[in-house]
Amino acid sequence: MNKFWTVLAFTVVNKFRTKSFIVTSLIIAVVLTIGLNAPYFIGKFQTDEAASVGVIEGSSELVPLLEQHVNDQEQTELVLVKVEDQGSLEENERVLKERIASGEMTGYLLFDETEELAFPTMTYKSEKTMDFGTVSQLQQALQVIKVQVVAPTLGLTTEQVSQINAPVVVNKVQISSGEGAGNVGDAGKTEGEIAVATGMVYVLVIVLFIGIMVSGQLIASEITAEKSSRVMEILVTSVSPLKQMFGKIFGMFIVGISQLLLLGAVVLVNLMLPHNQSMLTDMNLDLGSVGFLLIFYALLFYLMGFFLYAAMFAAVGSIVSRTEDLGQAVMPVTFLSMIGYFIAIFGISAPDSSLITVTSFIPFFSPFIMFLRVGLTDPAVWEVWLSIGLLAATIFVMGWLAAKIYRTGVLMYGKRPSLKELRRAMRAYKI
Amino acid sequence: MKFSPICYVRKIEAKEMTEGSREMMIPLRLEEVSKQYGDKTAVDQIAFDVREGEIYGLLGANGAGKTTTMRMVLGLIYPDEGRISYSGKDYSEEVISQMGYLPEERGLYPKVKVCDQLTYLAQLKGMKRKDADRELKKWLEKFNVMEYYGKKVEELSKGNQQKIQFIAAVLHQPKILVLDEAFSGLDPVNVELLKATVKELRDNGTSIVFSTHRMEHVEELCQRITILHRSKTVLAGSIKEIKQSFPKEKIVLRTEQPIQGLEQIAGVRQVDSGEHGLTVHMDPIDAAQEVLQQALSQSAVHRFEIMEPTLNEIFIKAVGGEARE
Repeated sequence: MNKFWTVLAFTVVNKFRTKSFIVTSLIIAVVLTIGLNAPYFIGKFQTDEAASVGVIEGSSELVPLLEQHVNDQEQTELVLVKVEDQGSLEENERVLKERIASGEMTGYLLFDETEELAFPTMTYKSEKTMDFGTVSQLQQALQVIKVQVVAPTLGLTTEQVSQINAPVVVNKVQISSGEGAGNVGDAGKTEGEIAVATGMVYVLVIVLFIGIMVSGQLIASEITAEKSSRVMEILVTSVSPLKQMFGKIFGMFIVGISQLLLLGAVVLVNLMLPHNQSMLTDMNLDLGSVGFLLIFYALLFYLMGFFLYAAMFAAVGSIVSRTEDLGQAVMPVTFLSMIGYFIAIFGISAPDSSLITVTSFIPFFSPFIMFLRVGLTDPAVWEVWLSIGLLAATIFVMGWLAAKIYRTGVLMYGKRPSLKELRRAMRAYKI
Repeated sequence: MKFSPICYVRKIEAKEMTEGSREMMIPLRLEEVSKQYGDKTAVDQIAFDVREGEIYGLLGANGAGKTTTMRMVLGLIYPDEGRISYSGKDYSEEVISQMGYLPEERGLYPKVKVCDQLTYLAQLKGMKRKDADRELKKWLEKFNVMEYYGKKVEELSKGNQQKIQFIAAVLHQPKILVLDEAFSGLDPVNVELLKATVKELRDNGTSIVFSTHRMEHVEELCQRITILHRSKTVLAGSIKEIKQSFPKEKIVLRTEQPIQGLEQIAGVRQVDSGEHGLTVHMDPIDAAQEVLQQALSQSAVHRFEIMEPTLNEIFIKAVGGEARE
């Protein structure tokens, strides 16, 4: 047991001391900080400069109404630039285009010829392809004007109009019908809480995947590095391969989880900043609504997913002699985890599909997918624990198998052995 | 006469140890140990023992089974047949801490400081960190490389990495030391330094298994050797007795004047003239006196010596003889 701790401590201390580890952690922290504050600063720098829209004076009865409406707004996001009528359409357009070229306006609105009384159709012309903001502003304004114009002709009062316009309210609450895993809670979840949960699950699935993959790859590459630098020859004569492998895996677990916790703290601190707090409140998102259970399951599935994949990566790392060959050798393991990850990402929009239900019991995928189900739907408790039980059993078998492969692999040099060669070697070494 | 290595297989044990208590004293003993890899025999019925304070030479061409033998001694792989005992006991966790290993393919963590990794490796051998650190400083001082204490291994020259590797093998004061090509890649000054250190360890009672291709090192350091060829023991015993068992076939002769007509003497196979005189190859050696008479009749003789076969020649006869077929 003593040697296990020695290996563990050496792994952890060395990793924390590596420059690349420190630099990577710092870079991720900085990127996260920038990313979390970016919306606020982008909002700051985005000047609320109103879009100038050109109209031909007197081209429609709507022009004065539109002008009045725009002026009535507290925050004017539209400015009308009136241009004198040049007589013909071609002339008008020529003048308007000149104005656009000189930067006076971003586009112009033309009223199509229509029959009397009918509300005219309009064309907005602009150089930009993606000027949806201005168009929808115009549309909104014109909609209001239309109601103003049309309502009196139908004999409706302003109150009647606003009564019709008042939106229908349907509040959505996610509830648990009893036997759920408990993430939904007794009071149910409101829409805002569901949004937070979805976002949270999305982020956590990604973190889970990246966390497991990165640590797994590191374990594999460290083991291969020990083999290719031949330090392994000394290590295997000093400490049993089993202790060595699990010391390394647990060491990397400590490294991985402390990195995640550190980055989690960075995220939390950033979200706590006043300007981000007020933005979240504006969007009606309360991060406090994230249940303790969701975090608990996130940690549980991270832990289990980590050990499952770590064992596989360690086994692969042990049979490769040269670092150059490692990338190819870990491919099957990487694919396996990627399948789980992509199913989970798909499942965020369809968490009740049968694909998700089935895959949430398959051990190599369940760390991602059962977590998603717990976060977004309300699986029964027995389902969750059955999935966890299967996962635990697989970890056990995988750990045992990995230890066997590791014992054999670390002694084999030269080209990567095939499965058959590996089995033969296992028998020869009496493992 | 065609040479067949099998007829030279003989075990020349200095003294048969029969008493049980003496048995216990032998730090390392291999009894008829065999190892198969699939249908290939890697080691066939090897048997030797290493006494306290002895350097035992393990020789053989590449692929003869030396590495497999050493791996079995180190407990990395188990023998299919036979027994390896350590002071009379079987392999156990306890034995690990008493063994040191200098692998042929050297390797340390390139990016870890010397002090960190050597104390780590010593800790894995069951040493306390503090003790390991103290010992390490002693060794660095002994090798005159104290300044490498806080350096990363990749910053050191190859020769100095070898020294550090050697320290890694002996830091935990092993009772049994397995040295695989201990002096390869070192300059003559450092070879002498390490050789002296190995002798010192021997004198302090360490049992050393010494594997190399350099026969002059074996002749200097080992009393007893085993020569492996194609997984079989072809020669084993004390170097002195092995040499005596081989016929002397060579005369070195240095004279004032050139000598003529040596080739005509019966039994002389070949005469080579070199910088320092003539080398006369004989088969058999009986006609040596005739050669001397012939030489004396023509010139003054400065040197006349019937040479013992060198280990190099014995090795080539035992191993290379068949390889050429």
